[in-house]
Amino acid sequence: MSPARDIEQQAAHWLVAREQPGWSAEDARALEGWLDDSVAHKAAFWRLEAGWGAADRLAATRGGVPIAPAPHWTKAPIWALAASLVMVCMAVLALWHFTANEVDAPAIRVATAVGVHRQVALADGSAVTVNTASTLRAAFTSGQRQVWLDRGEAYFEVAHDKRHPFVVFAGGRKVTVLGTKFSVRRDGDTVTVAVVEGRVRVEASDPATAGRAAIITAGDVAIARGQSMLLADRSEQRVQDALAWRRGVLTFDQVTLEQAAHEFNRYNRRQIRLGDAQVARLRIGGSFEATNIDAFTRLLHDAFGLRVANDSDGVTIKS
Amino acid sequence: MTDDAAIKQWFIREVLPLERDLVRFITRHCRDGADVLDLRQEVYERALTGAQPNGLRSTRGYVFTIARNVLIDRARRAKIVSFEQIADIDMVGYDMDLSAEDRHMTARDELRRAMLGLEQLPPRCREVVRLRKVEGLSIRETADRMGVSHHTIERQLTLGLRALTNFMLGGEARINRSTDATGVTQKAER
Repeated sequence: MSPARDIEQQAAHWLVAREQPGWSAEDARALEGWLDDSVAHKAAFWRLEAGWGAADRLAATRGGVPIAPAPHWTKAPIWALAASLVMVCMAVLALWHFTANEVDAPAIRVATAVGVHRQVALADGSAVTVNTASTLRAAFTSGQRQVWLDRGEAYFEVAHDKRHPFVVFAGGRKVTVLGTKFSVRRDGDTVTVAVVEGRVRVEASDPATAGRAAIITAGDVAIARGQSMLLADRSEQRVQDALAWRRGVLTFDQVTLEQAAHEFNRYNRRQIRLGDAQVARLRIGGSFEATNIDAFTRLLHDAFGLRVANDSDGVTIKS
Repeated sequence: MTDDAAIKQWFIREVLPLERDLVRFITRHCRDGADVLDLRQEVYERALTGAQPNGLRSTRGYVFTIARNVLIDRARRAKIVSFEQIADIDMVGYDMDLSAEDRHMTARDELRRAMLGLEQLPPRCREVVRLRKVEGLSIRETADRMGVSHHTIERQLTLGLRALTNFMLGGEARINRSTDATGVTQKAER
């Protein structure tokens, strides 16, 4: 049985008894004694006293006084309407701008440092968010839209254009899209493509070996290494979770601490090292600030009682 | 004594208005609904034990820090740690927003809320509470009028008092029958 519930019931008894005609000085002393017994008694009694006292207003309804209903209707703010109109106008202008001039812009190169992510607008109206420690090049010439992910990870929101496919080259893979939202990540020789919206085609970039192409859609993840490719049908929520880095957050769903540490190490110069195999196998979940190692390790300490040792270039976690 | 009175004032004015958020916070991190009441009580207990009302800059920060510690201690005791729960505690505690109007009800709000809470009690309990609060009858008088035992009225009144307090502090007007052998929580009829 719940101890708090018992105490609450006792407190309610005292409170009700105190309101009765027969309440004596002796009773009052007994109540004092009960309250002094423990802080828990005080907390429960004061709480009920305050709540029950607030309900004293009910006495006002004696004889049936009507109560005006609470005003529910609030005026729609004019400025909000105006603001949305302005946004629509801007969107229309932008659309007109992108369709009006054929894309033919100079190549660009974006490189990010550890722990930084950056959003870049491309000449065709697409947007790319470049994750930590990544390098990306883009070239839009004679109607071709081509991007090379040399290292790291990027998230693409591709402006729709049927006539000009948007192509991303990453680690021997070629990802072709018309208009969609997806991310591409390189991790050594592994390339991972995750689709948030629409469809993309993933194939080997070398035409000689481009035997099989895979079409993946929203919620899908393709993991390619060497000649092989694994297609995982994940939920859209999990794909979104995997893209939480755009908000500076890492989201884990029951991954091993080893995998989690690997993720953190992409975002920080200070590295997390695991002291033993037992720690590495521990499974965790949750959302964390990508660049706040201290908060993460403190939680490991709080929740699992793991030992956290800081040194000059990182943190070592032991069981 | 004066110290106690000051702490009580502080508890009623600053801590209790946080109850709705506090319970929501605890519920979010506690899968077993039956534990919520115990955890809430533990937070209040610790808050009162360490209270120095005048030296506090933010009662809200103080109470939620305690809540976080209570949840972590509980997770430790449980041995089976769901890391997810604890991981979120750090971030969630801060982003909860509470408007000033929400915290302090006017007399009019209080009346409206009390009427709403009264309506949600089961019929018999509602009548007992109404006779006490509106008509000002004692337990004896209520028992005579309704033709039932003193004990029955006393029991209905304590249950109604607890449910109504819950409701006044932002929760649900649930009847919580602790001493029933079954321990079943019965939802108040609408």
